[in-house]
Amino acid sequence: MSEIPQLIRLERNDTDMDLSYADGSKFTVTYDDLRFTCPCAKCSPERNDDESAKSLRREVESLPAEKPKVRTIGKYALAFDWVKGCSAGIYRFERLWALANGQDPDGGKPYVHGAW
Amino acid sequence: MADSPVTKHDPKGSDLLESPSPQQQKQMESAYANMRRKMAMQEIGRKIKHKIMVLSGKGGVGKSTVSTGLALSLAQQGHTVGILDIDITGPNVPKMMGLDGKRLHVEQGRIHPAQGHLGVKVISMAFLLEDEDTPVVWRGPIKLGAIQQFIGDVEWGQLDYLVIDFPPGTSDEPLTVAQSLPDIDGMVIVTTPQDVALLDSRKSITFSESLKVPVLGVVENMSGYTIAGLTTPETSVEVAGPGGKKHRVTSDKDGKFSVTLDIFKQGGGKSTAEEFGVPFLGELPFDPGFVRGGDDGVHRIVSEPDGASAIAFAKVVEAIKSQIGTSSSQGLEII
Repeated sequence: MSEIPQLIRLERNDTDMDLSYADGSKFTVTYDDLRFTCPCAKCSPERNDDESAKSLRREVESLPAEKPKVRTIGKYALAFDWVKGCSAGIYRFERLWALANGQDPDGGKPYVHGAW
Repeated sequence: MADSPVTKHDPKGSDLLESPSPQQQKQMESAYANMRRKMAMQEIGRKIKHKIMVLSGKGGVGKSTVSTGLALSLAQQGHTVGILDIDITGPNVPKMMGLDGKRLHVEQGRIHPAQGHLGVKVISMAFLLEDEDTPVVWRGPIKLGAIQQFIGDVEWGQLDYLVIDFPPGTSDEPLTVAQSLPDIDGMVIVTTPQDVALLDSRKSITFSESLKVPVLGVVENMSGYTIAGLTTPETSVEVAGPGGKKHRVTSDKDGKFSVTLDIFKQGGGKSTAEEFGVPFLGELPFDPGFVRGGDDGVHRIVSEPDGASAIAFAKVVEAIKSQIGTSSSQGLEII
């Protein structure tokens, strides 16, 4: 895991969130992007091929706009609770950093090891 | 008086006076017991500060050894600790804790745990078996009921840590516990450095994400076997390891030398942790003393509290504690 700056502030807006890091960098991540890149075992395989990824994107975009509840998970991640849609994903700080920087948080790797 | 909130007792006309049938009585009792159990589960959430699940995808990686080791190491550091052995069909924590043949004490409908080494409280299916050769052949719903009873009907008292030892895999047991027990701190995934075990550990990691229970980290068990010997001082010694791999060491000025042999592979647990971006909690050595200790009911940490294995466990415990603390999230302002 590469070193990333510490996330010091997360401000929830109506359709996106502002992330501020200890190195002074600031980013905005839309909730649609956040939910599309949900790392849970159910959502992740949906991003493996273009067709199901498009379907996941449409599904996410059709959800009503809402501010999520944000929970810290141990020392390494955040979880987002939504009234509608998937809340299962645990977002590691590295994943949020990649998202904030417009990178593919899956690192271009398909999801392989599903438990279901 | 039609609007009066006061009703008169009518001994003849009311259905309410019919005494419930035995079946209704049973249903009422069952509903009451379930309600009481749910309340007790909430109470447990308050009384037990930290709850740690110990899982592995594959069997035989040393989960129970690691669970008991973590519990004893925590107790060694002065914490009050309990172990819940959820392995219904193969419970062996009591044997490792020197509680073979012990029975549980029940008082006023509450089960009181047995106390093992260093005051660690233990609950296990093994305490309920008539003899250790009797297999438990239960289908899912019965297992689920037993697990909920183990959680809700046990009088743990105040605990700093509850370590929950599971059977291998990602099925009913962890699912039931994750859904029944509030505020679980996370899961420790035990693996050995071999591809099959690592593959199954990866499943446990994704499983934990689906359950919304965080992974505290991966522990690599049976990581290396250290042999020691004596020869001429400051001499080069060659030792043949598994697969004929040669290890060369130089003895010290007293002629002592030691070599750590990788019985399986090396570093698999760490690379799995890195691949999934979860913390690596440390390596536990391959120690035949665990087998002897398990059979004799005297855990290695108890028989050799300052030994290499006890030190390795203490390091893993420190890593877990630092994960449970929220220091990285400290200072994170969420608006």
